[in-house]
Amino acid sequence: MAVAQSSARIGASKGFTYTTFTAAEEALKQEVREFLRAELPTGSYRPCLGMSADHDGEFTKKMAARGWVGMSVPTRYGGPARSAVDRFIVVEEMLKAGAPIGAHWVADRQSAPTIMRFGTDEQREKFLPAIARGEMWFSIGMSEPDAGSDLAAVRTTATRTDGGWLLNGTKIWTSNAMQNHWFIVLCRTSPNEGDRHEGLSQFLVELHGTPGLQINPIAFLDGTYHFNEVVMTDVFVPDEQVLGEIGRGWSQVNSELAYERAGPDRFLSVYSTFEQLLREKLAEGELDARSYDAFGRITARYWALRNLSFSISRTIDQGGAPAVEASIVKDLGTSFEQEMIALLHDLWDDEEPSQEAATLGNRLLAACILTGPSFTIRGGTNEILRTVANKGLAAWHGVSR
Amino acid sequence: MSGQGNFDGADEYTVEVADPLLMETLHRLFTQTCSHEVIQAAETAGWADTIWEPLAGTGAPWVGVDEAVGGSGGSLVDAVGVLKLAGRYTVPLPVAETGLLGGWLAGAAGLALPEGPLTVVPGRPQDRLTLDGDTLSGVAQRVPWAAKATYILAIVGDEIIAVQPGADGVDIETVRNLAGEPRETVRFERAPLAHRATAPAGVDAAALRRRGALCRSAQIAGACERIAELTVEYAGQRSQFGQKINRFQAVAAHLVRLSSEATLIGMALDATTYAIGQGDAAFEIASLKSIAGDSGSDVIARAHQVHGAIGMTREFVLHHLSRRVMSWREEFGSTSWWREELGRMVGGVGADALWPLISEGSASLQR
Ligand SMILES: Cc1cc2nc3c(=O)[nH]c(=O)nc-3n(C[C@H](O)[C@H](O)[C@H](O)COP(=O)(O)OP(=O)(O)OC[C@H]3O[C@@H](n4cnc5c(N)ncnc54)[C@H](O)[C@@H]3O)c2cc1C
Repeated sequence: MAVAQSSARIGASKGFTYTTFTAAEEALKQEVREFLRAELPTGSYRPCLGMSADHDGEFTKKMAARGWVGMSVPTRYGGPARSAVDRFIVVEEMLKAGAPIGAHWVADRQSAPTIMRFGTDEQREKFLPAIARGEMWFSIGMSEPDAGSDLAAVRTTATRTDGGWLLNGTKIWTSNAMQNHWFIVLCRTSPNEGDRHEGLSQFLVELHGTPGLQINPIAFLDGTYHFNEVVMTDVFVPDEQVLGEIGRGWSQVNSELAYERAGPDRFLSVYSTFEQLLREKLAEGELDARSYDAFGRITARYWALRNLSFSISRTIDQGGAPAVEASIVKDLGTSFEQEMIALLHDLWDDEEPSQEAATLGNRLLAACILTGPSFTIRGGTNEILRTVANKGLAAWHGVSR
Repeated sequence: MSGQGNFDGADEYTVEVADPLLMETLHRLFTQTCSHEVIQAAETAGWADTIWEPLAGTGAPWVGVDEAVGGSGGSLVDAVGVLKLAGRYTVPLPVAETGLLGGWLAGAAGLALPEGPLTVVPGRPQDRLTLDGDTLSGVAQRVPWAAKATYILAIVGDEIIAVQPGADGVDIETVRNLAGEPRETVRFERAPLAHRATAPAGVDAAALRRRGALCRSAQIAGACERIAELTVEYAGQRSQFGQKINRFQAVAAHLVRLSSEATLIGMALDATTYAIGQGDAAFEIASLKSIAGDSGSDVIARAHQVHGAIGMTREFVLHHLSRRVMSWREEFGSTSWWREELGRMVGGVGADALWPLISEGSASLQR
């Protein structure tokens, strides 16, 4: 009998290797499920929609007590040093349940691994244990009014001053800046001439109590508030808060973005809505063929997508860097969930969706309809991802280019 | 040998993959024998001896059928690997029918495997087959390569029966699928049975349909994998407006998406094959066949769009693959049939068991 990880992979699905849980991983899954049954029994709360989840510091601290926040952080920095697969398990169970994981989301997914990778030992000591305790929360300071997809066009500048840097510029779409403690800011440290990917740098900046830094709220289209504009005027950042190397910001930010792309967050935003609608529809009695058809399509795709995403976590644990695969999962996952909102909407067209509707399923569906368009924008638009993936495609297929 | 992951080594996971030596051998054999011209000619003749002879020589059509009943042995994973390659190289022969389908039925009925190919009656809703003493009467539709098979096997009631296509009272009308593969209408009029046996537990019309769906999905997975490679390669060679067409974003989007959908089918196939090895896999097979149909349709539509007019010709190889996907997605349960079937399973387990079903598959139903 041949087993996976043998080198000859003819006939196996390209770039992705099917994998299953070990006994220890299975036990972790059961532990997370028990935790959720106790903390969030079905029907006791309104599920959140995937990663744009409620910001609940108490819930985050309970998770941290289990070792489920800052999961990648090594033990010498106070973390649980879990594998990518372990994090996959915790994240998918949380997203599936629509748990309020908003407070630690960014810190756990990308800030902690970025600080671990590029930070100084002092920075690791300062940030990582606090992240793993669920006490230090992060935002992302990348986008600007004139730098969205074209991130290298950022105009926020950092100029040298005594003992540090002075930051000037405006960051935008900064999710949860009003509640989080820190953000990692991408700035220009030398002029945008020649190779525009050079001369960029990252800084760790405290969001509250920093002179010259102002947070202005931006209302989201469904009436909720998590978007912000962060204006910085001569904000002093000491040298100890330079993250990584001055001038290497572009490659650092790209490695940070890679953490963003392939996880279950890219296909588990609508799941809790689907489950609730199914619960309500079944309670009404026998379903028609059209409903079964839609449920079949949705379920099959969830199952297959989940296996792709799981396989990426395993590859990462084995030292791989699955870049094309990550883009594939984000593109497939986010477009599928948008298509799915339309499918579900069609089935419930006897009742107009409303955020104030009588049934939970309808209220959740209303929220999905309103926020669904953002799925293919956040974390890099799907157009950009496909362009990036296309560059590696011939090599990925092993054909001449 | 087991997977080495980034965990303490306390425990490990093991996922079987198809025998690399067998895969290499077939890869080479198909590359040599399945030329564009041979596949084209097979469509007219309904057969290709130049492929069947060497293929039968390797024993590959009987992989996955127990040696005790005359098969080649090997695991189901190996057999699925064979079919995926057969799909990839558009092998115009009853590979699935001879092994995983016919060989399985013959083995279950205690019928010694003959040297030649086998076929099965897929079991269409319109089919009417009745037994009368030791004879068979009625009509069976879409029987693959019926005229070429040594035996036509069918499930009638709770029995497995075998009839020789050349026997008295058997009339075969040539019908072909969209890819030109024989899918014949067979009329039986008091045709003598070559063999009959009560079907053992687990062998019935539904089980045959599931196996057929697995086989066609494996073939679709192989075909789609090759379509993706061909299309990405073509878009890197064809120039318009002074540049390679893969530089155009609209084309790039097709290339990425069709590669993704092809990969999704491959993953669904691997997950299903694994699940079958663990026990009941009704959920996985229903998911697999509906994904093979939906994603396969997307793959061929985009591949044709990227190829332009050349892809619409018989001269270019794409049609061998795309027409097979068009055909196979309909067989052993259409895409929408399987979607609905799956939807009924979902309705049956209910909302609380949905996530275990998605994340653990059929295994979640056995607790
Ligand atoms: C819910 C949400 C939360 C977010 N949170 C944060 C956050 O916390 N921190 C942060 O820094 N950012 C955040 N963002 C911003 C996000 O990263 C950007 O929205 C994204 O990178 C796209 O930039 P843009 O909105 O300026 O669109 P643009 O770049 O202006 O794009 C507009 C359209 O043009 C297309 N386009 C642009 N360039 C190309 C090209 N070269 N080829 C093809 N098509 C192109 C895009 O695909 C898109 O369809 C968030 C966004 C959303 C929706």
